[in-house]
Amino acid sequence: MDFELSDEQELVRSTVREFAEAELAPVAGEVDHDHRFPEEVVPKMAGMNLMGMPYPEEYGGAATDYLSYMIALEEVSRGCATTATIMTAHTTLGTFPIYKFGSDALKHKYMYDMASGRRLGAFALTEPGAGTDAAAGSCTAILKGDHYVLNGSKIFITNAPYAEIYIVFAKTDPDADGTHGMSAFVVERGTAGFSVGEREHKMGIRGSSTPPLYFTNCSVPAENLIGHEGMGFKIAMSTLDGGRIGIGAQALGIAQSALDAAVAYAKERVQFGKPIAANQAIQWMLADMSTEIDAARLLVYRAASNMDHGRPYSTEGAMAKLFASETASRVAGKAIQIHGGYGYTESYPVERHYRDAKITEIYEGTSEVQRMVIARAALR
Amino acid sequence: MKIVVAYKWTSDPEEATVGSDGHVDWSRARPGISTYDPVAIELARRLATENGAELIGVTVGGKGVGVPLATKAVLARGLDRVVVVEDDSLTHAGQAELAAAVAAAVRHIGDVDLVITGDSSVDVAAKMVPTVLAGELGWPALAEVTDVGGQPGALRVGRAVPGGAQVLEVSGPAVLAASADATTPHVPGMKDLLAAGKKPVEHVDLASLEVAPRRAVMTLTGRARPARKVRKQQILDTSDPAAAAAELVKALRAVGAL
Repeated sequence: MDFELSDEQELVRSTVREFAEAELAPVAGEVDHDHRFPEEVVPKMAGMNLMGMPYPEEYGGAATDYLSYMIALEEVSRGCATTATIMTAHTTLGTFPIYKFGSDALKHKYMYDMASGRRLGAFALTEPGAGTDAAAGSCTAILKGDHYVLNGSKIFITNAPYAEIYIVFAKTDPDADGTHGMSAFVVERGTAGFSVGEREHKMGIRGSSTPPLYFTNCSVPAENLIGHEGMGFKIAMSTLDGGRIGIGAQALGIAQSALDAAVAYAKERVQFGKPIAANQAIQWMLADMSTEIDAARLLVYRAASNMDHGRPYSTEGAMAKLFASETASRVAGKAIQIHGGYGYTESYPVERHYRDAKITEIYEGTSEVQRMVIARAALR
Repeated sequence: MKIVVAYKWTSDPEEATVGSDGHVDWSRARPGISTYDPVAIELARRLATENGAELIGVTVGGKGVGVPLATKAVLARGLDRVVVVEDDSLTHAGQAELAAAVAAAVRHIGDVDLVITGDSSVDVAAKMVPTVLAGELGWPALAEVTDVGGQPGALRVGRAVPGGAQVLEVSGPAVLAASADATTPHVPGMKDLLAAGKKPVEHVDLASLEVAPRRAVMTLTGRARPARKVRKQQILDTSDPAAAAAELVKALRAVGAL
């Protein structure tokens, strides 16, 4: 078993870290404080081919392996968790459905713009009454001639105000049972009858914009159907299978940043005549944090490597997201504890890491859903 | 036009740890491109693009300077090819030896119009190699270079000098040492990283180059740390700020600080 990264993967890590330290980390606090979408960063990331890493070069991507993409996402998140959210929501959620399930015409029309990062994507599945129970959505898409007419709403849609291409899930057969009857569409910004609502004010990843979407007799060309009618749930779940590994990588970046901050603080903070890093209580906390992050990293990398080598990754991805996200929350909490009172203020970044970490336990499949997936595999 | 960038693959001393006995542990220091060399590469890359020139990296040193990770890391930054002189005898080489080896590599490449180096290496920071290299080649050397443009035979070189800046026109081959803050290095994209592995790397045997033999060998035979100051650990009662300030001034005057 070889745990070493390839030269290219090592270079991805060092290069993206260089970028994140120079461009993302310096603005991360301000992005969070002002709830500001870091618009200036997205073109820079596109310029570095970070917005379509795993897609073929013919589609404008960088044709890296999935593990390299996860390493890049981890380093971006280490600099700024908000930017990592933008990156994964676009690259995985917004682009994968077209790449994997879209017709040649759809791929030809959209893939280059998306994989090159020229146009930002978004993924619209969640509804007010359909979160974990994604199949309970009530948004409809009724075929009328050569168009589908969409009606309904979506909530918590990452990138929405800045995206130009939306993957929208709607019921083409509202009377169908369970997960059947749902279809996926590409909807472009500016389509008549489609509007973006006011963004949510969130606990964390505050620079990531997540407003609702509204569809009122929104007419979408029939050729914008992804795959065929009734495939929507499969497209959504297949996309989220890979997406959850990305959230694991994002959680890793948050956790690592929190640990780095805690180590630096523990070495500097002097109490009772010595740095608090000399105290066993602090050392044991740091030991636990380091070990959990390393374990989480191995789980995330294994899931990504499985994907690269054509091995099963659904359960492995669930384990990676579950463990990495809960690790990020624990590590960030301990990082605040190590900082003491200062950790509770905005003067240090650890309170932001704590707030940013929580969402990784929720979106793209809650920890409870991941446990269901893992238990199902264990009980087979 | 051929532009050579002389770069160093080495460990950053900031990543090394120093024990209480003074022993330096380099085991956790990951090697990389010397901190200021990407600035030189960026200046060279822009000039090469302006002129359609070939951009060639040259590195010399002990075992490890030519490993694939090292050559890919530097090729990803825009070089067309790399020439590596990797020899155990260069592991602890001094500045003169390294400069002589780089000069030999430049002659091996042939018809080089310009050599650009970083300001200094992150591990030694002697700032000597560019000048010694220029001497070996018989070329002029310019340090603190902030900008370079123009064509071969009429290069335009900007450099920082105390109190201002200079612009010089350089008519022949030269060695330029880029100022550490001359520009912000371009960070390679993911496609650049993947393409780097396909670019040519030439490993040249040191013995095949005409490098002058060592003239003097320097061996470190002793070191000492400065005597540690005994700290007074004097803590002032700050409940009365005015009184505390007066006491602070008195204490500083007593030790000659004021």
